Amino acid sequence: MISVKFYTLLRLLLQQNEVQLEGAAGTVAHVLEQAQERVPTPFLHKLRDESGALIKGTIILVNGRNILHLDDLATMVKDGDVVSLFPPGGGG
Amino acid sequence: MGGLITEAHVLYVDLSTRKVRKETLDPTLVRNYLGGRGLATKLLADSNGAKVEPLSPANKLIFAAGLLTGTTAPTGGRYMVVTKSPLTGTVASSNAGGFFGAELRKAGWTMVVVEGASSEPVYLSINDGHAEIRDAADVWGKDTHHTTNTLVAACGAGVRVACIGPAGENLSLIASVMNDKNRAAGRSGVGAVMGSKKLKAIVVKGSTPPKVADEAEFKKVVKQQVEALRKNAVTGEALPALGTKVLDSIINSSGLYPTNNFQQGTFAGIDEVNGEALVNKQYLKKKTSCFACPIACGRSTELPDGSKGEGPEYETGWAFGACCGVNDLIAVTKANFLCNELGLDTISAGVTIATAMELYEKGHIPKDDLKNAVEPRFGSSEAIIYYTRAMAMREGLGAKMADGSHRLATAYGHPEMSMTVKKQEIPAYDPRGVQGQALQYATSNRGGCHVRGYMISPEILGVPEKLDPQMIEGKAGWVKAFQDLTAVIDSAGLCLFTSFALNAADYCALINAATGFGFIVEDVMKTGERIWNLERQFNLAAGISPAEDTLPKRFLHDPMPDGPQKGAVVKLSVLLPEYYKLRGWDTKGIPTREKITELGV
Repeated sequence: MISVKFYTLLRLLLQQNEVQLEGAAGTVAHVLEQAQERVPTPFLHKLRDESGALIKGTIILVNGRNILHLDDLATMVKDGDVVSLFPPGGGG
Repeated sequence: MGGLITEAHVLYVDLSTRKVRKETLDPTLVRNYLGGRGLATKLLADSNGAKVEPLSPANKLIFAAGLLTGTTAPTGGRYMVVTKSPLTGTVASSNAGGFFGAELRKAGWTMVVVEGASSEPVYLSINDGHAEIRDAADVWGKDTHHTTNTLVAACGAGVRVACIGPAGENLSLIASVMNDKNRAAGRSGVGAVMGSKKLKAIVVKGSTPPKVADEAEFKKVVKQQVEALRKNAVTGEALPALGTKVLDSIINSSGLYPTNNFQQGTFAGIDEVNGEALVNKQYLKKKTSCFACPIACGRSTELPDGSKGEGPEYETGWAFGACCGVNDLIAVTKANFLCNELGLDTISAGVTIATAMELYEKGHIPKDDLKNAVEPRFGSSEAIIYYTRAMAMREGLGAKMADGSHRLATAYGHPEMSMTVKKQEIPAYDPRGVQGQALQYATSNRGGCHVRGYMISPEILGVPEKLDPQMIEGKAGWVKAFQDLTAVIDSAGLCLFTSFALNAADYCALINAATGFGFIVEDVMKTGERIWNLERQFNLAAGISPAEDTLPKRFLHDPMPDGPQKGAVVKLSVLLPEYYKLRGWDTKGIPTREKITELGV
């Protein structure tokens, strides 16, 4: 099982905290598509632009580590991993 | 009044002699220091302000509008309270939003300098060019909301009020100045300085916004920048929807959300107290904005029992939440409301309570010292509310807590349990999780401060680009750049949140259109560097040693025990020498003569 957790604006938009994916191991890009299929409201546009590139400030963590320091959207996700999704945020 | 934006008129009010006088500053000073933080610090430094006792009549208390405050510049409403801090002994420049600063500028004043001290409680009434010192017996002892309501009723609708609550009157070294009821010039005990002068409030009414040099160009630049702020995902979407509490889940999931007085980096109760909870529990009623602000990150909130106010912000929600181990959003919000009403810095208040909790749980505070009050234990909703009030009123253990965590922990023989730099409480990011932010904490001119060099932006949020938080290389250069640019934004009177969407070139264009200075970006950055070095010189003259450019031992020696940053410590011994070198300071951290001459400090 891969746990995909929705935070900040995604949590407000989807009104759910997470979705559990079975047999979804693969790249982060693949996991995102799988997660989108499991929720009724489109949300990927909050994280990626039309070209599929991450919007500046989007944070995707795999087990707490930012994918920008791993393999970006090609980062491999395996069973038991937690993928955390945050649209851009900021403050002080 | 009005007048050109580059004309800096200063109102001097001497509360000892009850005399008021006016001065216009040399325009070169405006060019070199802009306004707000820079200009007020220059005035303070030039008057030997580094040598005074902070709570003595000799300490000047300066309310300083920014260069662009009161214009239509996006977020152009910020002002600073500048003085020598009684908490840290460094220069204090506490920033606040709302509407007070813009009103001050519309009254024609860039700065109000309060000198001396009154023997009786007074307030200052400013109506354009006319200033009067009036009796404040009726509002002395009252909270900031009651005070504001009373003074607005007395002076007429349309006035703006900055005031202290009981905390400032009681000279708590973590007392704030509150304006427009819920906006805070929070840090460094500026409220205590105001209280030491028996100045309860400043009430201001202004009739004419300042004029910019090139109105057409200014209008064009403002329009373009407002558009950029609206389109940006952070300023146009995240901040309006969630306020600064958009950060709770981000920082917690990244493993640097200080929990139980910085003993852990993740908080199990996060989902009860995060920004999402504030919305989903329906305590958030609507968003609010400051003067000329298109972002609207403010939170107007109401709890089920009917109590209302603004906030909590990210820092406040953390300080009373995870920092104290509390997962009760109602209690956290109530503590926040109390801080606003009593006039206390929420960061320092929450961290001081957390320090009391750690001291108590480890057996260092005798139960007798509680005077039968609730035990300060991590997770206690009752304790965070009780001790907030106790600090403001100096009651029981609150009397020892009112002066911040460093003095509290030292009184009980364990200063190492106070998470402070230069005696000011460290904010809501564990430095072990972010090496650049750690360097900012150690080197900030006002002690434990996150916002003057907000490295969280590149290291965690990925703006303007994503840096690895644990990497050391290049961090010192980033910290310097952020510190210098922030000094400019502060002195211009703009909100730091504009920097999620705007860059140095944008600020340059805005300043040029307003002033006609003809700066290039390098001039803007040099101005910031000048202000930074001015503050450094002030601190050195005040006796603050470079040895205090450090962090509590917990962050240098105790590895982060949990979460994604597990095992990390701050590598300050590598970061600091590189920082000194890049700043053009000697190996001891003293600005060299060459650097001072180059900057014209």
